[in-house]
Amino acid sequence: MMSRVAAWFLAILFTVGPLAAAVGCELNDPDRDVKRLFPESTGYRTLYVSIAQKGGDALLRKIEARLGDSFKGLFETADVPYTMYQILKGKDVIGYIHGVNQKGQYGGVQVVLALDLEGTIRAFYFQKLTSQYAKLLRDPEFGKPFVGLNLLDFDQYDVATQTAKPGSKIAAIKNPAPQAEEDFRAALRAAKKNLILCDIFLLGGKFVK
Amino acid sequence: MSRRELAACGLVLASAAVPARAASYLFYFELQGVAGYSTAAKNVVYSSMNAMETMQKPSLGFDYVQRFSGASGDIAILAVQGRLAYDPDGDPKVEPQLYNAYLKFKTRALDIWVGHNRPKFGLSASLDNHATLLQPMAMSGFGFDRDWGLGFERDFADGSLGLSVTTGSGMSLRLKNSYLVAGRVTRGVLERDNSVIGLSAALGRTLDVMGYHLMSEVPVSFAMGGFDFTWLTNSWENRIELLGGSRDGASAFALFWRTGIGLLPENRLKLEAQPVAIIAKGKTRVQFAAGATYLAGADWTFRVMYAYDQDLKDSRFIVQVYYYKGIRF
Repeated sequence: MMSRVAAWFLAILFTVGPLAAAVGCELNDPDRDVKRLFPESTGYRTLYVSIAQKGGDALLRKIEARLGDSFKGLFETADVPYTMYQILKGKDVIGYIHGVNQKGQYGGVQVVLALDLEGTIRAFYFQKLTSQYAKLLRDPEFGKPFVGLNLLDFDQYDVATQTAKPGSKIAAIKNPAPQAEEDFRAALRAAKKNLILCDIFLLGGKFVK
Repeated sequence: MSRRELAACGLVLASAAVPARAASYLFYFELQGVAGYSTAAKNVVYSSMNAMETMQKPSLGFDYVQRFSGASGDIAILAVQGRLAYDPDGDPKVEPQLYNAYLKFKTRALDIWVGHNRPKFGLSASLDNHATLLQPMAMSGFGFDRDWGLGFERDFADGSLGLSVTTGSGMSLRLKNSYLVAGRVTRGVLERDNSVIGLSAALGRTLDVMGYHLMSEVPVSFAMGGFDFTWLTNSWENRIELLGGSRDGASAFALFWRTGIGLLPENRLKLEAQPVAIIAKGKTRVQFAAGATYLAGADWTFRVMYAYDQDLKDSRFIVQVYYYKGIRF
């Protein structure tokens, strides 16, 4: 009897692995946000994914290399579950929405991207941003230069040195609130990180070099 | 061990070797240690509030969210959250506690939940206090932290609307001719606008309970209205709530304020203060609590609290160690 219990216990134990305490960024209200970002949609499907499940530390190293910066902090561990949304029209997937947590000037910020099936940004916005200059960074005009960009464009942005290649599309994104430079830089890092994660988990590594 | 059982064990093990894919669930393991000192009890205590209340005590628990999807998208969400709480002076010493236990269906018009969830009344309807030492007004008799029944929710571009119809019995499902109808409307989306205004109303006949303990078999009348305001700016958070109405035939009012500031990178350290004034049955009761929360990592949180209750003539110093870890199967 004891050996039977032990065998089941071991079997279950080996199927269980750590995930994370911190939960990735979820949409405030998916129904409302999906309809706003994809008016033609008829529904959405929520997925939970993590780097630990997909490829562990080896994948994390690849992501860091692509980002050009190391993962650090509460929300940048391999086992943080990311909440990703597949947007549906009927039974067909027509796009994706994903938000990421990012260290900002006053705690964390959340940056959400809506992507088409090719991984091109369809919409960019801050979900969480408590800075007193939030109004300027939330202005739709600030998000417009992000529209139409993809991960290849963001390869022109060096996260470590916080500089964009002169003449690149990223260099054309201007900070509307000079006092909130840290949150502006956080937005660029978060957008690049978001695109890398979407490429891995949703686009099947379309932009993998 | 039979061949069939051996094969079943093998299948379970094999499932772990299958390449991991997107999951439709989140499962968390929770462990907390709580201890402190009460000047009224003149002794060490193992609960952040009165020991008959549910939160917080040394406990072992879990938090489970399962999404159900069809070909056309998400259909429903199941949420179950439970604990085994330990109280060395309790009878029994180990108490099973069920918090979330609801199934929420998504329809085009609104979300509908059935089970054990937060009634739509006041700030307590939107504050996540499951692990915190500082508690909202629902834990002071102004509504319930959780109640059994059903609810309707709808978010709009500039706010939300919610209604719940519950048994008015709190943690336990008791059908003793009690009920609570509560509604809440909000203007603003906190994460987007950094401010939210809420208006709430509740009407019913509720049972007098403390956690799982029934204080009286006879339901009492409950009619309450409320206004609340939440405001975030930079690293500051402020929450104010005004509640007023009658309970058990006598007037009852409460003024609640919670202010907090986030410090250190990622706001890993949070300092909060919470003064509360309650006027009930002609008697004024002042409560004050102050606390600190430190996020030591992705899984570990440390909290301390000082709480003073004028009515109980009690000062309570509490320390909590909290562990919350995701598990995948």
